[in-house]
Amino acid sequence: MAKKEELRELLKAELKDDFIGEELAGERRLFVDVHNRALVKTAEILMKQGARYQVGVGYESRKGGRGLALVHTFAFDNDALIVIVRTFAPEDNPEFDSLTPIIPGAGWSERECIDLLGFRFKNHPGPKRLVLSDDWPEGIYPLRHDVPHDLMPPATRDVVFRLEQPPPGTSIVPFGPFHSSLHEPAHFSVYVDGENIKGCEYRGFMTHRGIEKLAQTELTYNDVPFVAERICGICGSVHSVNYAQAVEAAAGIKISRRAEFIRVVMLELERLHSHLLWLGVAGHLIGFDTVFMQAWRIRERIMWLAERLTGNRKTYGMVIVGGVRRDINKEKAEDIKQVLKEVEREMLSLEKAIINDKTIHKRTRGVGYLSKEDALKWNLIGPVARARGIAIDARKDHPYAAYDELEFEVPVVDYGDVWGTLVVRVKEVYEAINIIRQCLNKMPADGPLAIDLDAPIPSGRQALSVVEAPRGEAVHYVLTGEENKPERWRVRAPTYANLQAVPEMLMNNKLADFPIIVGSIDPCISCTDRVVVIEIGLQKIKVMRKEELETISRKMRFEG
Amino acid sequence: MWEKLVKRAFRRSIWVYHCNSGACNGCDIEILNVLTPYYDVERFGIRLVSSPRHADAMLLSGAVTRPTLPLVKKAYQAIPAPKLVFAIGSCAIGGGCWYDTYNVTGGGDKAIPVNYFIPGCPPRPEAIIYGIALALGLVDKKVAPVELKQMEFPVDMYRQTKLWEQRNVIYKLLGEEDDRYNLY
Repeated sequence: MAKKEELRELLKAELKDDFIGEELAGERRLFVDVHNRALVKTAEILMKQGARYQVGVGYESRKGGRGLALVHTFAFDNDALIVIVRTFAPEDNPEFDSLTPIIPGAGWSERECIDLLGFRFKNHPGPKRLVLSDDWPEGIYPLRHDVPHDLMPPATRDVVFRLEQPPPGTSIVPFGPFHSSLHEPAHFSVYVDGENIKGCEYRGFMTHRGIEKLAQTELTYNDVPFVAERICGICGSVHSVNYAQAVEAAAGIKISRRAEFIRVVMLELERLHSHLLWLGVAGHLIGFDTVFMQAWRIRERIMWLAERLTGNRKTYGMVIVGGVRRDINKEKAEDIKQVLKEVEREMLSLEKAIINDKTIHKRTRGVGYLSKEDALKWNLIGPVARARGIAIDARKDHPYAAYDELEFEVPVVDYGDVWGTLVVRVKEVYEAINIIRQCLNKMPADGPLAIDLDAPIPSGRQALSVVEAPRGEAVHYVLTGEENKPERWRVRAPTYANLQAVPEMLMNNKLADFPIIVGSIDPCISCTDRVVVIEIGLQKIKVMRKEELETISRKMRFEG
Repeated sequence: MWEKLVKRAFRRSIWVYHCNSGACNGCDIEILNVLTPYYDVERFGIRLVSSPRHADAMLLSGAVTRPTLPLVKKAYQAIPAPKLVFAIGSCAIGGGCWYDTYNVTGGGDKAIPVNYFIPGCPPRPEAIIYGIALALGLVDKKVAPVELKQMEFPVDMYRQTKLWEQRNVIYKLLGEEDDRYNLY
């Protein structure tokens, strides 16, 4: 609270006339409107105060006058505060200053704005196209209001891109888009010198489905949670809870405590099955299929449990704006406790097998190493950061739902390698079991599952919500609109923050370790792609186009 | 005929190649799930392989997005004939809830010929196993094919003609006004 006042005074004093307005939405959010020309200065001030850059959101204001808007959000993890900086530009000249030179992570969001809204950024190191496919014509921006959601312009063919040369003395090994070590379409071009990796290029965005556009044209408030679940089949609840929280915060809806506890139970069940899934996939990636089989055998119980609780093994459909749809009654609670007991017992025996296994140690210790300083520089989040000694967890830092009432530990280790992420995830499995048990005990016995919304959700309000997904912090930004639908809904999935650091982790490792290093961040390409983008400006990771890929493959054919 | 051919061509074990054309991971993890101890499809001789060139069948999951469309076609061409294609999940069948957005071209059948559809969001592992077993002739089809009835309201019921008796004529009646009036 004190921090909020302090920042407010500081920004007012430093920016003077450029400080247009402010909005104090609750204790943990601070909305600041600044003039276009002072954006970089504001970001510099906030970063100096110890902020962590989260996400940039661009939107087109439907009510005329203010034109196009750009929002950057900054999290202060120690003070449970998120500062949201808004700035505006006229429709005929949507030009903003780029934050990428001072905050590398902002490049992703800015590039999305270029693609989808037609913004221009001064001083952006590499304003290339990112989200849309290569053959998308110039000048059509899908997120503008005058573009219908089902527009399918014919392909343009004359797109030419400059090919980035690999470092001298290296050759290229392409991975993907369809590759057995990647379960989703994405392309990695890995530079190797012999067996050693010397860099990597990435081309993603093959799973971009235009969900945000769908939400602002076709869907109503309570349709979106179900589509949000389908952003990602693994952490679906995270997105639907996150969206619902954002809308509730924007509209000032207070849901019942019982519904909040049920949401936490679903989130933690999801964390359980997601971590077991990762453990299995990691075992598979290092060629240890027994771990894969055993982890997924344990996980299957949770899938069955989810089916009994919600009616579906995945995409639960539990969350709506204002509460949840199904109750967890006494019998179901007993059922959950029983399953958790078995899962815990089996998990302990699996852990015993893994912890002392020489093969796993040899394949994961020291692999994909990143120091704590580097991890901070790259703004890592989730288990990837916690394996590098950074205690960051949205459940503790920005408590939401019922987490303020629950006691749990955030496991942090400082191995800094793939082994560290494995240890963190195994420990989190037990923490998740612990949290669900607490929830079932502390849950209030009565209370409505979902409250009735008697008034329509007011338009023009903005809110931001954070949820700790199994992979890290997921951010949803909602701007409410007319006609019972959100005007802008922006999702930032955890993978995209972590994906930036992959080239750094890959450096000087063996090519054979590539799958497990990429796997160690638990990449969820479908979350990331719906959202956005990949960084070019950092020299290490670049986006590739079809023509480049073709040129490379042709070149390789000749050389090889 | 088709059934006989399949039975002859894929008499022994079939190897499947999993192609994610823009799915949300839901179907993908259920496909992986059928390999795990509780479902264990390897007992039917079904194996997941990582290269399309080794595969007999393709499991397609997810709506085909604009960038993956040519890639899916290429992967399909790489599978040696005779080949089967299974579209797994709502998205691969008809494009799912984003069937018409700007970056999605639609279901799997927009890109490649699909032989079998396994519905669900995501389909249960049992459904996937059943679908593949059905294709291989390991189990019998349990439901009779249901003929879809077209809705009739936009056409005047009292002016039914010979053309109207034929199936699916509704599209013609709706699309080509001239045809309708020519009949009188």
